[in-house]
Amino acid sequence: MPLLETRRLTKRFDGLAAVNGLDLLVEEGEIVGLIGPNGAGKTTCFNLLSGFLPPTAGTIRFAGEDITGQRSHRIVRRGLVRTFQLTTLFQEMTVLENVLLGLHLHSRGSFRQVLFSQQPFPRDEIDRGHEVLEFAGLGPHATQPAKNLPHGHQRILGIAMALAARPRLLLLDEPVTGMNLDESGRVMALVKTIRDQGTTILLVEHNMKAVMGTCERIVVLNFGEKLAEGTPAEVGRNTKVIEAYLGAEVAHARG
Amino acid sequence: MLRRATTPTVLVVALGLALLVPLLGDYYIHVFALVFTNIILAASLRPSLTCGQLNIGHSAFMCLGAYTSALLAKHYGVPFELSLLSGALLATVVGLVVGYPALRLRGVYFAMVTVAFVEVIRLVAAIWVPLTRGNSGLSGIPKPNLLGVTLATKPSQYYLVVGLTVVTLFILWRLERSRLGLTWKSIGLADNLAQSLGVNIAAHKLLAFAVGCFFAGVAGAFYAHFIRFLFPPEFGFLVATNILVYNFVGGRGHFVGPIVGAVFLSLLSEPFRGSAYETIFFSIAMLLTILFLPGGIITLPGKLAGLRWGRAASAPTPSPAG
Repeated sequence: MPLLETRRLTKRFDGLAAVNGLDLLVEEGEIVGLIGPNGAGKTTCFNLLSGFLPPTAGTIRFAGEDITGQRSHRIVRRGLVRTFQLTTLFQEMTVLENVLLGLHLHSRGSFRQVLFSQQPFPRDEIDRGHEVLEFAGLGPHATQPAKNLPHGHQRILGIAMALAARPRLLLLDEPVTGMNLDESGRVMALVKTIRDQGTTILLVEHNMKAVMGTCERIVVLNFGEKLAEGTPAEVGRNTKVIEAYLGAEVAHARG
Repeated sequence: MLRRATTPTVLVVALGLALLVPLLGDYYIHVFALVFTNIILAASLRPSLTCGQLNIGHSAFMCLGAYTSALLAKHYGVPFELSLLSGALLATVVGLVVGYPALRLRGVYFAMVTVAFVEVIRLVAAIWVPLTRGNSGLSGIPKPNLLGVTLATKPSQYYLVVGLTVVTLFILWRLERSRLGLTWKSIGLADNLAQSLGVNIAAHKLLAFAVGCFFAGVAGAFYAHFIRFLFPPEFGFLVATNILVYNFVGGRGHFVGPIVGAVFLSLLSEPFRGSAYETIFFSIAMLLTILFLPGGIITLPGKLAGLRWGRAASAPTPSPAG
C-alpha cells in the first residue's frame, strides 16, 4: 500500500486549473522530488495535500485512508506534516520555543501544570525539544531568538519544527532556497538522515543539483499536469522536461 | 538576568504601594478601585489580542457580568462570590456563542462584529426596562460580601478588587507562559504555520476569547457592587475602545503592557472622567503612541537606555555630519 496516493487531483481557480488530474504515488521510505517550472502547480499541490486548500475534484489517500477535504490540523495529526516556502518559523520566539510548538500535538499539559508548576512546560517536553534541536545541529542556539539565526539555520529550524510533530510523511517546500552550496549540502544530508530514520519525504525544490543528488524518484509538473516521472537520470534525459524548462527551440537545437 | 531579579521586586513594591492607597482617603480609594477594574479589563483582552484578534467590544462582557451579578444579588440575595461567578460564567457562555461564528472572520471583519455586539448589548440593557430599568439606571445593588460578611467600608471593597486583580493577573500570567500562551502567540504571529504544526486555530482563538470574557465578567461584577448603580451607556463602544487603547499604549509585547497602560491612562484621564474630553484624551494618547512609541510605554526605558548607549558609542567616532 502506498503511503500517499492521489487520484485525478484537481484544483481550479476561476477556470484556471492550477493542478489538473494529478495521479501521485509516494511509497513508504522514499525521497520523492516534485519539480517543474514556476507556476507549474507545485505549491498548490502541497496546499491540497496538507489540507490548506480544498481540491475541486479528485481524492487524496494517506496511509490507506481518504483524507480529501479534511482540515489541516487533522491531517497533521495523521502524520502528514508540511513546511512553508516563506514563513518557516516564528521570528519573535526563541529557537526552543519554535520546536516546542512543533511538539504541540504530543503534549499533555494539564491545568495543574499551567497554574502551579515551577516549569511552564513538562520536563520531558523540554528534553524532547532539545533532542530534536541536537539532531538538526541547532543545539547550541536553543535559547536565542529565532530571528537572530542566519538564513540557513532558520530554514533548518523550520524542518526541525516539522520533525517535532513526528511526521510519517514530510512535505518540504523549497528547503534549500536562497542557500549557498555548503548550506544546501548540509540540509540535503539532513533530509537523507531523516528519511533513514523512517520518515518518508516529498519535496519541492528549484535547486536542481540538490534535487538530482538527493531524490530517488522525481515527478515533473507543468501547467498543473504530470509531465514525466522517473529516476533523476531518466528525467534529466527526457526531451519533454528539457522543453518545459528551456523552451522548445533550445531543446530542438540540442537534439 | 537583570530582568529576572527586578520583576518580583517591582511587583512587591507596586503591591505594597497599592495596599497603602486607603491612607489617602475616600476619593483616592474610589479612583484606584476603578484603576484596578481597568487593569483586569485590559489584561483580559490580551489573550485575544495575542491571537491576533482585534476585539473592540470587550465592555459588552463587562456589562453582562455587571448586570447578572447585580440582579442576582438584588432580587435573590445571592452571595457576592456566587453572583460574581455567575456573571463571569454568563459572560463566558455568551462569549462562546458569539465567538464561535465571529472568530472565523479575520482582521477588520471580526473587529466590526465586536463593535456591533457591544452596541447590541448596550441597547438590550437600555431597552429591557422591566429587568434592567433601562436608561433610568439600576440602583439599590447590595454591597459586596465575602463569606457572609458585608464589605461595608470603601477600604475593604478596595482590598477586594486588589485581591481579584492579583488572582486574575496570576492566572492570566500563568496561561501566557504555558503551552497555551505559546500557542496563542503562534497564531498571532503566523496562523498558517501554527496550523501546519497541528494547532486547531479556531478552537484556540475561541478559548482565548472565552478566557477574556470570563475576567471581563469578573471586572463587571465587582464594578456593579462597588458603584452600586448601573447605567447602560457606561458599557458602550467608547469604553471598549478604552480597553483596547490601554493595551496599545501600554505595549503589546509583554504581559505588563496592558497593566501599565491601564494605570497610566486611568490616572491621567481621571480629571476628564465621564466628560467629552475623556474621548479626546484617549484619542490623543493612542495617536501619540502610534507615532512615537509603536511598542508602547513598556519600550520607553529600553529606548532611553538605547539613546544613552547610542551617544556613548558614537562619541569616539565623529559622525560625517559633525
